[in-house]
Amino acid sequence: MLRIFFGTLTLAATVRLATPILIASVGSCFSHKIGTFNIAYECFMLFGAFFAAYGSWLTGSPAVGALCATLSGVVLAAVFGIFVFHLNANPMIVSIALNLGAWAVTTLLLTVIWGVRGTFISPDIISFKPLKLPIQGGLAYLGEIFGNHIILVYIAYVMVFVAAVLMYRTSFGLRIRGIGINSIAAETAGINVLRYKWAALIIMGASVGFSGAYLSLSGLNSFSENMTAGRGFIAFASTLVGDGNPLICGAIAVIFVYADALTLTLTSLGYPTQLTKMLPYLAVLLVLMVGGIRNIKNQSTI
Amino acid sequence: MKIRSRDLRILCIQYAQALIITVILGGILIRAQGESPTEALKYILEGAVGSPTAIANTLRWATPCMFTGAAVTLAFKSGIMNCGIQGQVYTGALIAAIIGYALPMPKFLHMPICILAAGIVGMLYALIPALMKLYLKVDELITTLMLCFVATYLTEYIVIWMIIGEKVDATRSMANTSPNILETAEIPKLIQGTSTSYGLFLGVAVLIIISLVYRHTVIGYEMKQMGENLSFSRAGGVNTSKMFLGVFLISGFIAGLCGGVEVTGSYGRFNINFSGNIGWDGIMIARIAGNNPLSVIAVSLIWGALKAGSMQMERMTSLNRLSVNIIQMLFVLFVAIDYEKLIAEFNRRKATAKFKRQEEMKC
Repeated sequence: MLRIFFGTLTLAATVRLATPILIASVGSCFSHKIGTFNIAYECFMLFGAFFAAYGSWLTGSPAVGALCATLSGVVLAAVFGIFVFHLNANPMIVSIALNLGAWAVTTLLLTVIWGVRGTFISPDIISFKPLKLPIQGGLAYLGEIFGNHIILVYIAYVMVFVAAVLMYRTSFGLRIRGIGINSIAAETAGINVLRYKWAALIIMGASVGFSGAYLSLSGLNSFSENMTAGRGFIAFASTLVGDGNPLICGAIAVIFVYADALTLTLTSLGYPTQLTKMLPYLAVLLVLMVGGIRNIKNQSTI
Repeated sequence: MKIRSRDLRILCIQYAQALIITVILGGILIRAQGESPTEALKYILEGAVGSPTAIANTLRWATPCMFTGAAVTLAFKSGIMNCGIQGQVYTGALIAAIIGYALPMPKFLHMPICILAAGIVGMLYALIPALMKLYLKVDELITTLMLCFVATYLTEYIVIWMIIGEKVDATRSMANTSPNILETAEIPKLIQGTSTSYGLFLGVAVLIIISLVYRHTVIGYEMKQMGENLSFSRAGGVNTSKMFLGVFLISGFIAGLCGGVEVTGSYGRFNINFSGNIGWDGIMIARIAGNNPLSVIAVSLIWGALKAGSMQMERMTSLNRLSVNIIQMLFVLFVAIDYEKLIAEFNRRKATAKFKRQEEMKC
């Protein structure tokens, strides 16, 4: 039992699989704090995954792939921004249209560029190589968990702290939080609200797009239709539960991903995949319930 | 519900402009794939309204859209973000399929019970996020989203491991549908030989009832009021908690009905993950229809026509059916633009510029 929950297999998988969720949810903390409603995570991530694979396939360099992924996220975020900030469209509808559109566009590109339906696997898509961290001796247990991952994994954890510093120790973060609390007051104080909203949105687009790069360049050398499969929504959930605080969001994301990593071990023990795949979503619901318990004494109004 | 001529003009601008931009971009998209846009349009129309079978297909695909559109309209008009339509549809559909194949009943009883049970299960599935919102203050948007995924996997588990698992062991990994429902549980077909059933009229009826409730009853007014201004309706004496629960449950009930009608009317069994984005479709349809229940009927028909037509287009040309999906999303994007605000903004700027010019002339 202990081996299932604390074995190196599960924990290493947690560290690894947390990458896309961490990058996405930490990056979108800014747009959450500033008060932009956006659930187009799936769209940005799916495009990121596609263009990471495409860039890597064209040039043979995973770094270029990751760059392409980031750029595609930025472009899509710009589309979202134009519709929501300048054309006053309902952000929810734009998000949904982008999410479904992304699925259609990437699948179409898959058939147009590579002529396959479903999954494209190719040795020409070069993945990132795992780094061998020199952790030895008594720390072998930690070494097995934290060593031997690709560079994106380490970037993700560094990002959490960078984002926290940016949010709580710089004037940029202060202004973003201020706009989120009261945008009219911020405007009166002479802050260009729209510019900060754009900056937050671009950060979100870039990081969610970048997170997609992990999906296709983590050793699978492939891109498949609807590759994100709900990961974007998990990232959205952790941003929402952590209320835009990068450290809390990161911690919550790791909890959700831990439930996802258990899937791997539990499936190998013969539990039905359908049940184990539900675990991350149930974990989200459970965390929300626990977080809501303190509200239970209040009157039941909405 | 009188529409002022100014509103009507803006509405016309909104739809006309969205349509024009979409047609241009769609044409470019099709042209880029090396096909003629007019040819593609011809096949879409042929597949949608070209023959009795084509019309039947259109109606068949419009049916689920009507139910989900109704469920979304109801919820969103009261300010409830029910994004878990899909989960409610799936759970409802599964119950309808199980009752349909496992419990033999007389003909006049079986089908209504299947559909009703589907609705009730959909309603119960909506009860979870509703209670979480009322007692734990958890945002219903995120809970319904998560419950969507839970429902997808849960129904898959029940079908594969509990229903198929005990019937045929050898083909466990092959089959992923429940057994066919009994003939007594099927909704009679509207057009013989197709999968269009009288379930269509149930969808239309639901939408008409919603429209009548909104127009002629106090409850309908209170429901609308809650979405427009929550504190006002609370101050006006509406029990918002009770109203919230009621609207949420009815929305879930309608979504469940959708599942029931899909299974008993069209598929005849429960296919795993039979419609991946049925809930999102509902939200988009409700938005295009401007949350007006009667317009939902029209938009659903267009949605069904596009689906049926795109299949025909895929058969006849080298184009992928997804092209039509992309064009649909483009249309949704451009319809979502708030032209009223844009025009107001434009007029304001013009007035400011004029004022400035006058000031300069005076100087």
